[in-house]
This record gives sequence, structure tokens and C-alpha cells, in this order.
Amino acid sequence: MSTKTPVPELVLDQITVRFGGLVALDDVSLRVPAGRIVGVIGPNGAGKTTLFNVICGFVTPSAGQISLGGRSWKPRPHRLNRLGIARTLQGVGQFGGLTVLENVLVGARGFRSGEEPAGRGWPAGRARQSEQDALAALERCGVAEYAHAYPGTLPYAVRKRIELARALAARPRILMLDEPAGGLDTDEIHWLAGLIKTAGTTVLLVEHHMDLVMSVCDEILVLDFGKPIALGTPAGIRANEKVTEAYLGTAA
Amino acid sequence: MDRFFYLTFDGLSRGAVYAAFALALVLIWRAARIVNFAQGAMAVAAVYVAYSVTGATGSYWLGFAAALVFGLLLGIAVEKAVMRFVDHSSPLNGVVVALGLVLITQGVLGMVYGNEYRPVTTPFRRDAFDVGGIALLSRYDVFVFAAVGAVVVALTLLFTRTAAGLRMRAAAFAPDVSRLLGVPVGGMLTLGWALAAAVGSLAGMLVVPTELGLHPTAMDVVFVSAFTAAVVGGLDSPIGAVTGGLIVGLLLSYVSGYLGATVAPMAVLLLLVVVLLGRPGGLFSSSKARLA
Repeated sequence: MSTKTPVPELVLDQITVRFGGLVALDDVSLRVPAGRIVGVIGPNGAGKTTLFNVICGFVTPSAGQISLGGRSWKPRPHRLNRLGIARTLQGVGQFGGLTVLENVLVGARGFRSGEEPAGRGWPAGRARQSEQDALAALERCGVAEYAHAYPGTLPYAVRKRIELARALAARPRILMLDEPAGGLDTDEIHWLAGLIKTAGTTVLLVEHHMDLVMSVCDEILVLDFGKPIALGTPAGIRANEKVTEAYLGTAA
Repeated sequence: MDRFFYLTFDGLSRGAVYAAFALALVLIWRAARIVNFAQGAMAVAAVYVAYSVTGATGSYWLGFAAALVFGLLLGIAVEKAVMRFVDHSSPLNGVVVALGLVLITQGVLGMVYGNEYRPVTTPFRRDAFDVGGIALLSRYDVFVFAAVGAVVVALTLLFTRTAAGLRMRAAAFAPDVSRLLGVPVGGMLTLGWALAAAVGSLAGMLVVPTELGLHPTAMDVVFVSAFTAAVVGGLDSPIGAVTGGLIVGLLLSYVSGYLGATVAPMAVLLLLVVVLLGRPGGLFSSSKARLA
């Protein structure tokens, strides 16, 4: 899963999102440097998923700039894959009528523009390469045995892994994970932490599970009602009183 | 018994056309959740194009190709210019817009070509072969079977073996997730309409010569039969569309052969009522989760 092209840096600059009278994101800035694992945490309704939706182009910010690789960038959902950005959804978002392998294949690409074609340039060669990529991704997530099953018949934890495999099959340079640990048990979360650390890509992680966030992230942004209240290393966030007050409460 | 064989083959031949037409309806239903009531009028427009091209060049096959290409382009135009802007909050909206398209298309065709029946040529003779003294199939029937069979095989390969087919299926299931995975959902929708309109045009080309002739409303009755076929098979199921088409074709053939041609349309409606009462999702309905 090596990448030949340099990983672009993703920068959010003073992003504000309003839904009618509600301010979902208020002047949020975040720098996601190449190869780093950046976490976004905050209580429910803090705007974490909205932030993801802004980066994916599902929500257009009312104000603020986004740049990718130093250039101003207006995200469009169907372009992300080509740019090497993959995102998983909260819960699972698989196509019920497609097999697991087909689900993963939708996102797999034989090669990306700017890269040498991995398969031959012919559609058949590319299709074979895509299928190999898809199977490799399923293998990596430990769910290759379910390749020909339909997602609806599988347990939730397996479907979460398929979701990850689908994102990895695109050989992303930036991997966006929206609550990947939701509904998983301790062993699964331990496995997930290992996968994130060895992903070899930039990772942007929205998560409620504190142990996971604290153990894998290089840097953490804390949102509270759309406002950024802290940005720093896990140790710094742990010690930050504003964060404790807003989110961690007495548990910290 | 001879009569039974003849009616069976005749029914299968008509059924193959209904199958192709129903398949076009299913393609659009799966992609866009719209029953394209304008399919018949669009197909007639394509047959008129073939009529003009054949008239000008003298070649049936040039006209045939022109009809398919025109069908593709018309599908793209209808999706991009009209259907894309239909509000999907109520299923009726798409139906009303499609019916509007029918009126416009039939009106324009009437203005350009006139409202009389025009004879159309067939590339093969329609006299049935005799096999052991029984009249079974004509060369034209064989052509119909081959053409519809080729379409069914091509569509099956497209949807099960190619990346484009996989993306079309994904886009139909969950547009937003598909976008995230890099699928240009709008483009897939346009492709679906283009394919459906081309298949509809093919069905029109095959069926019009076997009816009264070319007329702006020539496909209206065919549409009713094909729609019944699609509903009988289950609007979501391509296999259902083909099976439904053959069932409707056979039913029409037997009823008009044994009971009289005037009863045949009633038989189709009766079948529709029975299926909707007994199995509203169609014989091949599979997905319970997707209701909208």
C-alpha cells in the first residue's frame, strides 16, 4: 500500500456552517499534515460529522476556506475517491443488494491518476487489479471469507470491518473514519487501533471512544457546540480544563 | 394441436418484445424510481427516425441503427433536461411529467409526420416456416428472438461483469455512499436512461411492423402490455421483466387465438389485477427493504 505521489496536506481555515439559525460549526480551523493521525472529538451535536461533511462536499460552508496540497479546494463528493480521500460512514452504509466483494469493488480503483497503472491499461487488466485490491483490503481487515456474502446477513462488527476494507481498497492518501469504533467490543477496538496506526496514510478520525482516540492520535481537535475549544496532543488535551469541563466530565 | 403450437410461438415472439420493453421500464425504475410512462412515445419517435432514414437511404439497417442511436440520445436528453429536475417527494410527480412528455412527443410527431398509419418494412419475411406441416416461426420471429436475446445477454454482462454496471447498481442503491466512493451518480443515472431508451427503441422497431403500422400512438397498447409485464415480474427485477413479458405475450396470444382478439386487452388487465391483489411486489420481487 505504498504511495508514490506525495500526500497532500489538508487545511481547514475558519470554517463556519449555519443551518438556518443553528450554527453547526463556528470558525473552525484545522491543519491535517501528511502522514499524521488527527482526531476530532466532542459531545454529541458538537459538529464532528458536519466537519466531515464539509470536507466531503456534502455541506457547503457558509464561510471559510479549505485547501488541499496548498491549493484552494472546493470538495465534491464523487471527486474524493480520485483525489485519494476515502471516508467511512457512521454505522454502516453498505449496498444491501451487492455482495461484500462488489461493495468493496465500487470504491476500488485499478490505479489513480498520477500513478503508474498497476494493472495493464486495458479495462480487463484494471478490473483484475481492482479485484485484487479489493480482496487484499478484505484480507487486511480479516473479513475475506465473507467476500461472496451479502452484507445484510453479516454481524455488525463484520460489517464495520467491511466498511474499513472498502475505504482501504481505494488506496487512500487521506482516510476519514467516522466513529469506526461504534458498536465494537474491546478486542475489536484494539484491532482497530492497530489498523489505524499501521494504515500508512493520513488519518482523520471522529470518535467517541476516548481510549482509542488517545492511543492513536498525534493531535486532537475538541469541538463543543460547533466551537473549537482545544487543539493539541493527547496529553495536552487530557490536561486541558476546558475539555474536561465540556466533555470528559468527572470520568477524566 | 397445430394451432396451440402456432399460438405458443407467436405468443413467445410477441412476449420477447414485451420483455425488452418491460426491461427498459425496469432499468429506469431501478435507477431512478420512476415508471417512465413516456417510454412508448419515445420509442415511437425513434421508429419515426428509422422510417425517415430508411426512406432516404433505402437501407433498413441504417434506419435500425439510427433508431437505436436516436433512442440513446433521446434518453440522455430526457434525463438531463427534464427528469433530473423532477421532485421525487411524491411518485406522482414523475408520472405527470412523463405523461406530459407523451403528449408533447405525440403532438410533435403528428405535426411532422401526420396522423395517419404508415406502413413499415421488415428486414425478414414474416411468413412462418413449416416444420412437419406445422407453421411455427417466421424468419422475422427468429430475428426478434435473437435481438431481444442479445439485449438480455448484453445487459446481464454489463450489470454483473463491468465496473460501469457495478457503479450503476451502487448508485441506484445508495446515491450518497456511492458519491463518496467516487461514483458519478448523475452520470450513472443518465447512462441508465440512455440504455433504457435505446432498449425501448429496439422494442419499438421490433413491434411496430407487426401491428397496424407507424402512428404517433402506435406504442400505447404495447406500453400497457409491457407495463403489465414489468409489474407481473416485479418492477425491480430484470429476470422478472423478461419472464413477465413472455407470460403476457403467451396470454395475449392464447386469449386472442381461442377466445377472440377483442377479449385480449381485458385478459391483460385481469392478469394485472390478479397479480396486484395476490403478489403486489410482482412474481420476482426480492427486496423488502427498499420501498422508496
